[in-house]
Amino acid sequence: MSLRIDLVEGASIAVRSLFAHRLRTVLTVMGVGIGVATLLAILGITQGLDSSFEKQLATLGSSSVFVSRQPWVQLGNWWEFRNRKNITLAQVEAVRAQCSLCDSVIPMVDDNADVQFLGNELSQVVISGASEEWPKVNGFEVSQGRFFNQTDDDNRRLVVVLGADVTDTLFPGVSPIGQTMRIGKKPFTVVGTLGRKGKLLDSSQDLRAVIPFNTFTSFFAGRRSYTIGVSVKNPDQLDAVEDELVGVLRRVRNTPADKPDDFAINRPEQLASTYQQLTGALYAVALGIGFITLLVGGIGIMNIMLVSVRERTREIGVRRALGARKRTIIIQFMLEAMVVSAVGGALGTIVGLGGAKIISLITPLAATVKPLTVVFGVLFAALVGLLFGIWPAARAANLDPVEALRQE
Amino acid sequence: MAPAPAQTLIELDDIAREYVVGGETVRALAGVTVHIAKGEWVAIIGQSGSGKSTLMNVIGCLDTPTSGSYRLNGKDVSRMSDDALADIRNREIGFIFQNFQLLPRETALANVELPLVYRGERAKARRERAIEALKKVKLEHRMLHKPTELSGGQRQRVAIARALAAEPSLLLADEPTGNLDSATGEEIVRLFEELHQQGHTIVLVTHEPKLAARCPRAVRLSDGKVVGDGPGAQVAYAEVHA
Repeated sequence: MSLRIDLVEGASIAVRSLFAHRLRTVLTVMGVGIGVATLLAILGITQGLDSSFEKQLATLGSSSVFVSRQPWVQLGNWWEFRNRKNITLAQVEAVRAQCSLCDSVIPMVDDNADVQFLGNELSQVVISGASEEWPKVNGFEVSQGRFFNQTDDDNRRLVVVLGADVTDTLFPGVSPIGQTMRIGKKPFTVVGTLGRKGKLLDSSQDLRAVIPFNTFTSFFAGRRSYTIGVSVKNPDQLDAVEDELVGVLRRVRNTPADKPDDFAINRPEQLASTYQQLTGALYAVALGIGFITLLVGGIGIMNIMLVSVRERTREIGVRRALGARKRTIIIQFMLEAMVVSAVGGALGTIVGLGGAKIISLITPLAATVKPLTVVFGVLFAALVGLLFGIWPAARAANLDPVEALRQE
Repeated sequence: MAPAPAQTLIELDDIAREYVVGGETVRALAGVTVHIAKGEWVAIIGQSGSGKSTLMNVIGCLDTPTSGSYRLNGKDVSRMSDDALADIRNREIGFIFQNFQLLPRETALANVELPLVYRGERAKARRERAIEALKKVKLEHRMLHKPTELSGGQRQRVAIARALAAEPSLLLADEPTGNLDSATGEEIVRLFEELHQQGHTIVLVTHEPKLAARCPRAVRLSDGKVVGDGPGAQVAYAEVHA
């Protein structure tokens, strides 16, 4: 008897047997379905988080490096960083003079202040002290008006360029260019606005007002540590730039040879890997839960199949007596297990995708599922059916026909 | 009047079958030699424990002998693989069981088609042949009913149709009237008589001397050995007065 007939007949027997035991079939399908749904929802959220984070990171600019006293991501020992020496303007100058692979080198500094225009107010807006090259290093575009020039900076003019959130809140329906607004208590003239960049890890990058660097230093008193913003000539040379920066900074900061760096070189693309390290373990746990759910579904299948084999022992005997080979019986029961799990997989896929969609609608988590993930879900379910169906099917096929026929 | 070799269907020579039960060896068959020609109707009679069920399983290729040789329709089937035996059962043997052994969820027609399915016959052809077989047992008007909707006699006739559909060289019946009342049983015996007249080879396993007496030939088993072989009535008489 050919394999084709085994498959066709086996499939038809499997489907009829599943219909004959509807409740049992539905429960088994649910077991697998819940497993697949859980797995897909978790994968969907995971992939959604990853892709939205990747998009956010892309806005930071991949050809810039930021040197600061503390790393952006600190795991645990924050006290190590607190006593580090400030990064001074002299050090910024030294980097600018000595770094051959660097393109623009600028000092950057932020503080917070309230801003106000007529009746509209925003509190605790990021005020950035910037030089002419700040938009390039930070990946911002000027959307209206202009950015500052060297003259504005040298003369400590009270001019400001606004981030998109500030523009929208303070100047709804009004052109901000040429208007006079207040930062703290001082009046500033708006000369330009920045294009929108969006959120990075849930904090807006557009809730800021940018003023000339020298204006900033006269305005906000106190000794500060600066961030050195560096744009590189060639984005492929980021590693070389980092090496060069380490050399220059250790020299100008007199870092003892036996001590580690007392500053941090932050690269946006490294943030991605740090992020993945942080979240990877979480994902692994979530996936593990999904797999365990699926495993439970698989054990459900095995259980049901064993019951089915026991119940149909005589039927198996009759089929064997009439000429069914062992293979025929194995295929019949394997198909039964696989049909159940594939149906469970398909339903679970629909529920899982729906669940991910609902989560993305009612929470800030953006869930996306790649088409390949769906294929993976269904195939995985079928594989579960295969794995957990083998043993019961083999038991059925290896029954002695004489014994099987005798069974009541 | 020994039949010519070409016409011999079943050649059982010195068949032994031993089981190991709880460390002890039980001899269910202890050297059975029986030859059955094509077209014969032979009863195998014996009390429970005589070895007749084991002999039926061996003849039906559901079991293989521990020793001895069994040739069915010219082929040595005593040492065949499991798959090969499945094919032999499918092509050479039509089983008729005491408790009918029909698939309860399938229609009479689907039950009769089953051996043809395993032979790989196409749907249309096997349907035609199944209907043909059901006509022979006069049940074509009930063919779309399930076994639970049929009487005992009708069920056994469906089972006989299933055995006939595959056109096997041997009809092998195990206590075919055992689960039927005497009137229905008589109906089935008549059907066997008809089939015999049409030239089918029938081996009928029973413990009822009355049934064996209706067969032209009977083989009597006791303790795994042949203790009588001759005209049915004669052997049945010996069984009753044993």
